[in-house]
Amino acid sequence: MYILKNAWKNITRNKGRNILIGIIIIVISAACAVTLAIRSSANSIVKAYENKNPITASISMDRKNLMQELMGDNKSQEDMINTFNEIEVLTEEQIITFGTSDYLSSYYYTYSLGVNAKDIQEATDSLVKETTTTTTETTNKTFRPQNMPQGGPGGFPDGGSYSTSTSKKTTTKKTEKIYNEKAQNGAFTLYGYNKYEDMKDFINGNYTIIEGNISDDFNSKNCIISEELATLNELKVGDTITIVDTNNEKNTYEFTITGIYKENTDDAKDTTTMFTNSANKIITNVNAIKEILTNNENLTPNIDPVFIIKDKESVEKFEAEVKEKGLSDYYKVSNNLEDIENATKSITNVKVFATTFLIITLVIGGVVLAVINMINIRERKYEIGVLRTIGMKKYKLALQFMLELLIVCLVSLGIGAGVGAYASVPVANNLLASEIKNNTEENDNIKGNFGIRDFEKDFDFGVAKVDEVDNINAVVDIKVLGELLGLGILLTLVSSLASMIAISRFSPLNILKERS
Amino acid sequence: MKKDKKNTEIKKSKDTVVLKIDDVNYRYADAKKDEYVLRNINFEFETGKIYAIRGKSGSGKTTLLSLISGLENKYEGKIYYKDKELKKMNLDNYRSNDIGIVFQSYNLLPHLNAIENIILSMDVSKVKVKDKKGKAIELMESVGLDRNLGKRRVLRLSGGEQQRVAIARSLSYNPDLILADEPTGNLDKDTENDIMNIFKDLAHKDNKCVIIVTHSQNVCDQVDIVYELKKTSK
Repeated sequence: MYILKNAWKNITRNKGRNILIGIIIIVISAACAVTLAIRSSANSIVKAYENKNPITASISMDRKNLMQELMGDNKSQEDMINTFNEIEVLTEEQIITFGTSDYLSSYYYTYSLGVNAKDIQEATDSLVKETTTTTTETTNKTFRPQNMPQGGPGGFPDGGSYSTSTSKKTTTKKTEKIYNEKAQNGAFTLYGYNKYEDMKDFINGNYTIIEGNISDDFNSKNCIISEELATLNELKVGDTITIVDTNNEKNTYEFTITGIYKENTDDAKDTTTMFTNSANKIITNVNAIKEILTNNENLTPNIDPVFIIKDKESVEKFEAEVKEKGLSDYYKVSNNLEDIENATKSITNVKVFATTFLIITLVIGGVVLAVINMINIRERKYEIGVLRTIGMKKYKLALQFMLELLIVCLVSLGIGAGVGAYASVPVANNLLASEIKNNTEENDNIKGNFGIRDFEKDFDFGVAKVDEVDNINAVVDIKVLGELLGLGILLTLVSSLASMIAISRFSPLNILKERS
Repeated sequence: MKKDKKNTEIKKSKDTVVLKIDDVNYRYADAKKDEYVLRNINFEFETGKIYAIRGKSGSGKTTLLSLISGLENKYEGKIYYKDKELKKMNLDNYRSNDIGIVFQSYNLLPHLNAIENIILSMDVSKVKVKDKKGKAIELMESVGLDRNLGKRRVLRLSGGEQQRVAIARSLSYNPDLILADEPTGNLDKDTENDIMNIFKDLAHKDNKCVIIVTHSQNVCDQVDIVYELKKTSK
């Protein structure tokens, strides 16, 4: 206790020295607070983005491999077709096998099947087809004036007659309705999910239910339909629709509408098309689709697996594992890691800058503090000598000196954190604004290379899409304060280390002799 | 080495010997192999007596005091404090509890006042005193200091006052042995006599052993026993 008391007395009675140390620590801690706040906020943003857009992997046809196989060895067209037909379709069992992996946090798969429907009209831009027909009618008339000379100068070559030709254009607009244009593959697509958790579009908010709900019965033939389809066909919750097998019109299935959904994605805002991509999407459950498949073996559904990968490190490991588990060479595992990294590139750059700045600040700050400490210790050599002479132990003396620095450090950290909290938001946003500007310019340059001058149009070109995360609200929160405190204590300990060594080497006898 | 006994009547017993120097030799770390400052020192110090160690400059008086006080322990031979060999003792505890040291240049902490200097010494020794401030004032008064000087920074005190504070500090944990290195070297004769009276009282009234390193004849005249150190020859 007396060590603390003594440390406090030393601080209050050596104000000049401690204020100098305090100012240095305030500058260091303010800089650290800014960088920590930026780092923390950037981490939160990236994490939030990654949570909303997890790393996912999907399995798709490896066209490059397939083409090499088909084109190789001068194969005949028949051989090519045979090879193509031999490629096994991805089965549900395989997906379940692949999904049982330590590298995944979860996985799900959807069934999709093209179907037709009785008495309902699909939503399509070609629904209303306008045909313009132009016909030209030509009328020839011959005149012979009575008092006109025939032949010779000023006369008519054919003995006094001439003819005129009149054309009349007629434009006819014909509007015709085209029904079930895609009937071959099904005008509608049935999408089947196994459980609520798999319905990521609803979880992410890409789709929202505007009427009714999604049934929790994943075994019955119930469905939800798009707002467009409901409006177009005057359907409402509780109505039933009749789904028709595309290969066999006799196979029909009654589906009860339990809800109507709306698409909220950017595609839905596209004013160049009348309907959204999801307009003809009828969402149901996997079991309902399986029932349709049971009645017609010729139907082939698409089974689309989505594997949610735990972290970046697991991406390659999962891909290798899937190959090991027997995924055909004609298939490849692709992931969205690059897209995610691109989307958060600006924030990541700011974070890297902040981290670098933090390290530099800490190193310089640590060195400056260590030097000041050394000077301080040399100045206080006499005091050390006296205290050692009256029997104060070395470690207690070192503790007292460290406590002095720690108290000054904590007070200064508090002030520094306050300054940092005030400065972090504008600093962070300026950094980000600069990063966004660079990325936008880069993107515009590429657009220019494509001859695209309309910069209002949104093209990506693989350059970071910064509008997703265009603002860092840097906050000096509890976490940042904790980190700052940790760094402060670490800095105090490291910068005190040199003085601790000096204290342990000082001989009180020599100190007092020098003094005398 | 010369032992000058003034008080021949003092009875010597094992219980009264507080410090024993047994055949001690010492040379500085950077000195030549046989260049000793102290050679074959054999002294005994008893409680209730006041001693002076006298000698010319360079005779090793202060060095001997630093060996006795445990500030230096790289010597040949043995030093016993109450039959315990000094080298085997915790020297920090020895300095903070068993001995009190008074220096010529007082060695007080300038950023503290007189009372705080005394209390700090009590804190370091972990002596159990309920009212440390009261005890500090009491000690100040016992060495002839006005209690009003207690709150004054030590640098604002006179040399004599500072030395009294230093003595009070050395007594704060009630040690049996008081070591003083030229305690009156910076003081005038009257003050020197005052300080010596304090030391004499400590030895004769409080039964402490006081060892003073000095080259002042006045001091030597007032002590019970004088040990004289002579410069060693190679």
